[in-house]
Amino acid sequence: MLPFLFTMLIFGMGRFIGGGNAALNFATRTGTSNVLVYEMLGGAVWMTSWVVVEDVGVALRDEQMKGTLEQNFLAPVNRFTLLIGISLTDIAITTAIFLVVVGATLAFTMPGAYLAFFQAFLLLLLGLVPLFGLGFFFSGFVIKFKEPYIFTQMVNLIFGTLTGTYYPVTILPYWVQFLSGVLPQTYVISNMRQIILANQTLVNLYGSIFILLALAIVYPTLGYLVFKKLEKDASVTGELSKY
Amino acid sequence: MLLVNYLSIDVPRRLAEEFKAAFMKDFRSYIRYPAWLVGDLVSTPLWFFFFAVGVTLFAPTTQTSEYHGFSFFFFGFIFIVLFSTTIWGVGQSVRNEQMAGTLEQFFLAPANRLTLIIGRWARIFLTDLLVVGYTTILLYLFGGGPLPLYEPAHFTFALGLFEVASIGFGLLFAGLTMKLKSYNTLSNLVFFGYMILTGALFPVTVIPMPYRYVSLAIPFTYFIDLMRHAALLTPTIFPENLEYVSAVIVAVAMLLVGSATFNWIERDARARGSIATN
Repeated sequence: MLPFLFTMLIFGMGRFIGGGNAALNFATRTGTSNVLVYEMLGGAVWMTSWVVVEDVGVALRDEQMKGTLEQNFLAPVNRFTLLIGISLTDIAITTAIFLVVVGATLAFTMPGAYLAFFQAFLLLLLGLVPLFGLGFFFSGFVIKFKEPYIFTQMVNLIFGTLTGTYYPVTILPYWVQFLSGVLPQTYVISNMRQIILANQTLVNLYGSIFILLALAIVYPTLGYLVFKKLEKDASVTGELSKY
Repeated sequence: MLLVNYLSIDVPRRLAEEFKAAFMKDFRSYIRYPAWLVGDLVSTPLWFFFFAVGVTLFAPTTQTSEYHGFSFFFFGFIFIVLFSTTIWGVGQSVRNEQMAGTLEQFFLAPANRLTLIIGRWARIFLTDLLVVGYTTILLYLFGGGPLPLYEPAHFTFALGLFEVASIGFGLLFAGLTMKLKSYNTLSNLVFFGYMILTGALFPVTVIPMPYRYVSLAIPFTYFIDLMRHAALLTPTIFPENLEYVSAVIVAVAMLLVGSATFNWIERDARARGSIATN
């Protein structure tokens, strides 16, 4: 529901501010007059990102709160496998979010866009890999510093703002665009809009697909290294199961 | 002995003591986790920025028009922050104690329930003012311009009515969540319903006609309308005096209905033994 509600809010506010020319102003700035699809794509990717970062990041905190984190860590299982296992559940959840939110929007507004929808879905799957890396990072962060929801909310808001969820990142200041450029969601959202609204294909967008592939390697690697470091520190200082 | 002495204190002083104790309890819990304050100070302006940039896509390029939109929108943001206190401050207070397993101790204290809950509201209201003030200064520094407030006395009066009504609504909500348990779904639906239907972020005239009747049936629509009128001199939905009189009656009625409902649900939960069921 949230992507629909956010889109309704922004559209309502936009109509008030822009008056009769609101849609025209929007088209001038974004290159498309399809406000609903443009906003819903951003909203769906943002929600997906929110679920992944929060769920993966908070999963170990839940174990910590229940007092079962030690049992998990004592099991003869690689930490990486454990984190991947947590992440796999989220693939099912995020896929469902995407299929319902974007699928329903396209079914009503662009019923013939099956191929574009399929390509957007593939792009989402690729974009999930670096997000899991961010989730690993937060798992470590949460074990060490507790209070997961405040941090995940802040980070997800920063992601929503920097990645162009409801606007093109090109309207942000240059230094902010630099930060946007290192976040995977920026490429997922921008490419999805290109594929669905501008008839581009994954092949045409190979440049940013390569960047996304690179981020899919860099983020999980860095995220896991940070997780291991913070976990090791927490096990030395006895912070693993402290409230 | 201590309890006997306490109960022998006159009622207004006792209520003031209870209020102070409830406020301090919540304040201490809040400052125990510095991350909460950091989260409030970072997240709140970000939410505003996040929406504001999205909305500018629809705006014309003339500065005057965007400036009026900005003020209108910023007041909408304040109304949302205030309502979030109702939902997640007053409404959630009982559920939080329930989840932490401390609700029985809370209710066994020889204190008025409503004072305890209002004490929590006061702490959050104070934090809200801090966040709104900080965001106003931040946006001013980023070139948003000063925020107009044409009729401060009327604005304060309308804000007071809003708060009385919101405490009433929060109590009703607290009672409901004690009974229904499932909090997040209900709170999200109510919160988004408020944002879209009450004209907090855009005038109700933007809402298409059959749905506008729903907006006009929600009391918060009028508190917001009066506050915005006092701040920006925007036209009111109905004649101003009529709205003020109705708002006073509705605010008091909401407080009474909220209190009565909360007390009734609490009594029922005690009888059924469901007060602390997760």
